[in-house]
Amino acid sequence: MENQNVHIPASGYRTAKGFCLTSAFWMMVATFMGLLGATELIAPDITENIGWLVFGRVRPIHINLVLFGFVTPGLMAAAFYYIPRLLRTELYSETLGVGTVVLWNAALVGVVVSLAAGHTQGREYAELIWPLDVGVVVVFAMVFVNFVMTVATRKEPVLYVSVWYALAGVVLTTLTYCLGNIIWRPDTGALAGIPDAIILWFYGHNIFGLLLTPLSAGVAYYVIPRAVKAPLYSHTLSLVGFWALLVVYTHIGTHHLLQVPVPTWLKVISIVDSVAMVIPVMAFLINIWYTAKGRLGEIHADIGAKFVFTGTIMYFFVSIQGSMMALPQVQRVTHFNNWVVGHAHIGVLGFAGMIALGGLYYILPYLTGRPLYSRFLADFQYWMVLIGVSGFTVVLTIVGLIQGNAWLNGETVYRLLPPVHIYYVLRAALGLMIFSSALLGFYNITRSMFFEPGESS
Amino acid sequence: MYLPYFVTYIAAGLIIALAVFFWALRNGQFRDQQRARFLPLEADPEARGAAVRKSRFARLEIAALFFLVAAGLAASAAVVVFALINANRW
Ligand code: HEM
Repeated sequence: MENQNVHIPASGYRTAKGFCLTSAFWMMVATFMGLLGATELIAPDITENIGWLVFGRVRPIHINLVLFGFVTPGLMAAAFYYIPRLLRTELYSETLGVGTVVLWNAALVGVVVSLAAGHTQGREYAELIWPLDVGVVVVFAMVFVNFVMTVATRKEPVLYVSVWYALAGVVLTTLTYCLGNIIWRPDTGALAGIPDAIILWFYGHNIFGLLLTPLSAGVAYYVIPRAVKAPLYSHTLSLVGFWALLVVYTHIGTHHLLQVPVPTWLKVISIVDSVAMVIPVMAFLINIWYTAKGRLGEIHADIGAKFVFTGTIMYFFVSIQGSMMALPQVQRVTHFNNWVVGHAHIGVLGFAGMIALGGLYYILPYLTGRPLYSRFLADFQYWMVLIGVSGFTVVLTIVGLIQGNAWLNGETVYRLLPPVHIYYVLRAALGLMIFSSALLGFYNITRSMFFEPGESS
Repeated sequence: MYLPYFVTYIAAGLIIALAVFFWALRNGQFRDQQRARFLPLEADPEARGAAVRKSRFARLEIAALFFLVAAGLAASAAVVVFALINANRW
């Protein structure tokens, strides 16, 4: 039913809606690819003779779709909603925004087709071939123009911290993407030797630290105060956290290469700053948690806020864990095994993915002027994702410790396969849950957007 | 030769960051922090309280979906139980 109280601008929030749909759709495909990959780890012959579905192709499709298909568009949807609202103006150009969504989706189709066909540059998180690299840079540049021009036409003089985060995320990603993908070398997309590894991981870490993290922080800083109907605990602290993130996060990429002969000074910087990450992380968390202090009931009442708040708790875990993993003595055990995969899932799904879903569910009623189609389905999805990601953490951490310990003691890889097999089965079962939840989410979101909502629960 | 690219990038990053920081400083972005805390709360369009239409179809549909998901979950559980039972055979 149409709600008269909601003011929907003439533009109709088309860009935000487009990004919501993009995120919900690609979450299904991305999690399916994850599930398929997990199944292949249990039964490696299952896609035998199907070249475009071998693990080596399924995995990059999975991670690229999660990053650029599900999480980033989800966070963008919220940003395209909150930036104009916080600046008391309208989005600079919905047409440009819709064009961005279309191009973004075209690029994602290109990602699936090219990777499945075996066209890859073979560098983690930078697999995409040159034409797609250019596509990614162009869409980020389009988002940047839209955001900056919206800021330029603002009626509110002060930029709220969410606006800072969204702008920084977009600017920095446009730049680091070019650098990390060695975009000036279309044929290989790589330098030679160790410098290539350094630059790749500088970029790789910035994808989490300067894209997913700032966009997620922006959503949390917007949704939580609104949901609990209280001002932010401290805007000054939020800006301290913002600038600290820029200073510290940019230096830590080399903690992915502590077992590699890169210059020691670079390793030292990366380790020190990985530990120093506790400053921006706690500045953010203290701020959000103090804002919500004593008002958890309000968070519980709002499904969007519930996702977001859970994401902040995951952020605490992933960051503390990350700082520990950057210590060389710890990493001797945890590197190169499923421990890191566990960490990656707490970060990308538990933190950024949860917040992307939360932002999406939070803004949907405002975009459509109607309540969410089904709060029950959203809640159900919440629990499935939460159980899924917590389960991943437990299972993958156990496998990681088994592998790390055994390898450190000189055990060979193949002899470990039987004991870890059961954990891979568990992991696939949890993946099935997350994939099912993505189906529910897509259904709920499209119903909320296109059809009259009915009372469902 | 990669150093020129690194140096250019570092220089660009630093220049942009410093330029934005000083713009913010002069523009008064760090001044009225008390008001900034309230920015997300202003102009609150309340969509949540909207009346919800009840429909029998929607209830049936949710029940069907719920059944599907429950079947998916049961399948997951069955995989796990099967694997546990057969664990020592592999
Ligand atoms: C204080 C914050 C964090 C620190 C210090 C940190 C530290 C680390 C370290 C040291 C590794 C490398 C582990 C290894 O290869 O042995 C790693 C990997 C990873 N981290 Fe984090 N992390 C942090 C937060 C996050 C967040 C917020 C995310 C996601 C949004 C994230 C996502 C990942 C992913 C995906 C990998 C796997 C990279 C790969 O494919 O090898 N991390 N992290």
